[in-house]
Amino acid sequence: MEQIVATLTNVLILSSMYILVALGFAFLFNILGIINLAHGAIYMVGGYFGLALIRLLGLNPWAALVLTGLSIATVGLFLERFCFRPFSGDFNRTVMICVVITVVLQTAVNIIAGTQILSLPPFVEGIFKIGPVSVSYERIVTFALGITLLVAIIWFVHRTKWGQQMRAISQNREGALLQGINVHYISALACFIGCGLAAIAGCLMGAYLGLGPFMGDFMLVKVLMIVILAGIGTISGIFIAGLILGALDSILPLFISGAPSDASVIAIVVVLLLIRPQGFFGHEA
Amino acid sequence: MKRDKKVPSATALSSHIEKRIWEKAALYTGVVIIVALLPVFLRSIYVMHVLILTFIYVVAAVSLRTITISGQFPLAHAGFMGIGAYCAGMTSKWLGWPPWITIPTAGLVTMGIGMLMGYPFSRLRALYYAMGSLFFGIGVMQIIQAGGIWTGGYSGLIGISPLFPVTTAKIYYYYFFLGLTLVSIVALYRFEFCRIGMNLKAIAQSHLVASSVGINESWYRILVVGVGCFFVGMAGAGYAHYNQVLSPASFNFLATLWLVMYVLIGGIGSFAGPIIGTFILILIPEFFRDLRMYSPFISAAILGIVVYLMPQGLASIPQLVRTRVTERRNGKR
Repeated sequence: MEQIVATLTNVLILSSMYILVALGFAFLFNILGIINLAHGAIYMVGGYFGLALIRLLGLNPWAALVLTGLSIATVGLFLERFCFRPFSGDFNRTVMICVVITVVLQTAVNIIAGTQILSLPPFVEGIFKIGPVSVSYERIVTFALGITLLVAIIWFVHRTKWGQQMRAISQNREGALLQGINVHYISALACFIGCGLAAIAGCLMGAYLGLGPFMGDFMLVKVLMIVILAGIGTISGIFIAGLILGALDSILPLFISGAPSDASVIAIVVVLLLIRPQGFFGHEA
Repeated sequence: MKRDKKVPSATALSSHIEKRIWEKAALYTGVVIIVALLPVFLRSIYVMHVLILTFIYVVAAVSLRTITISGQFPLAHAGFMGIGAYCAGMTSKWLGWPPWITIPTAGLVTMGIGMLMGYPFSRLRALYYAMGSLFFGIGVMQIIQAGGIWTGGYSGLIGISPLFPVTTAKIYYYYFFLGLTLVSIVALYRFEFCRIGMNLKAIAQSHLVASSVGINESWYRILVVGVGCFFVGMAGAGYAHYNQVLSPASFNFLATLWLVMYVLIGGIGSFAGPIIGTFILILIPEFFRDLRMYSPFISAAILGIVVYLMPQGLASIPQLVRTRVTERRNGKR
């Protein structure tokens, strides 16, 4: 019973974090048309920025979380203007600039903070108990926060004017331009949201699993898996793919340990991709 | 840009082309001779070591580019290098095979695995192919990590027999890897500009048109992956025997990304691109070795300069200069 509950909370938390980062990645992918290989680094920097705000400025964790989200999102605006917009439509140069961003951020964090694993202080302390079941408040709060953000994003994309413009651009860029939608403005907005989500996920995961300068690479691979499995141009598919991956990542290690479990996750993803070459909910690239 | 007013006659044009060919041949021979004579002037073992590593990565980068001419963007290349390296390392360590057998065997095994991967993956296109091969490369390295004592697991494989009995003299290694690199480059060059290469370029432009004129698309796509993997497998095997220690971390996702960077910085459109790119991106950061932790910034700076200033990569510099000069000359007229 204890283990079932622990696994279930693991599945939910991991999935919600994966989905948060993957949603930001998918925004950039659908609206700017770029594969943002720097997304993992931005996620990592988010965690470290939050830690710096808490440790050095002595902020309340909640204030640090909000401030981190906003500041990294602002960095996203800068990235869109100077790193992504000049190379729109040029796949090779976009890949190169993303590697540049990743290398710069990882090296900077490596020099400033070192390679040791750090950890954010927990947002809430205490354990929630009902009968034999006990879950720490930390996990509940992480999960609740993730879900709230996801619902807010869904509401934003489907119910607001900006969200509708985003969907229009991801369906047909030229058509959206003809309708008078300001693509640069919406691209900047997408970058703002995408980087902000990655940074918040970085903070939450930093409190949950710990921080390392190279944690972004792991997350980047997971996010690529989710987005490719879901297919290009879909938002709802990401939820299902994220849940599948979160479940695989938390349930498989119970049966197989260490490297074989990672290898089997990858094998399952490759087989799923070969069964549906265009992703489960997407269209042909 | 203005066109030249006088139209050159056919003989003048052909003699011009012939002259260009001789110029190019002289240039390449000169470069090869200079590189071959380098050890005479450079007595430093460390510089030789860096150059040997550069040769190995040149083979990997050139073979990566050869696969991309078919319109596939493979992101599993470091994984294939790892397959070759571990194949050579394991046969050498556990079966006691000499390096002269393990290196070709590793090439063939990598080619076989690459073609086996290429068969189902030829269903995937463009981005899905790139991402599928990325996952394949990561998966291969994780299987190798999970191999326990046979592959050495996380800590790596040690005790691989060296290529030459005298391990300290790098000069033998230098000429061995120079030869391997030259042979691979010439072979891949011939491959790209023969009929098969033309078919591959046709597939890259439009797979529908290519298959409508009778090009067997999936077979050619599998073939090019096999050829690229053969050379990268040999490079990996050479690396295993040179280094004598293998660690899975040398062939992970980041290693693939850096291989892609070597190709892209030189220019993916030209054959010389990956060669130039590998030399620039390995040698220049080595000059700043004293900076230690800060040295990744140097690589990032080189990449940034190329991205912002040279859209077609470093190999397009002569082209850029020529256009600039012609423009200026025409402007003055």
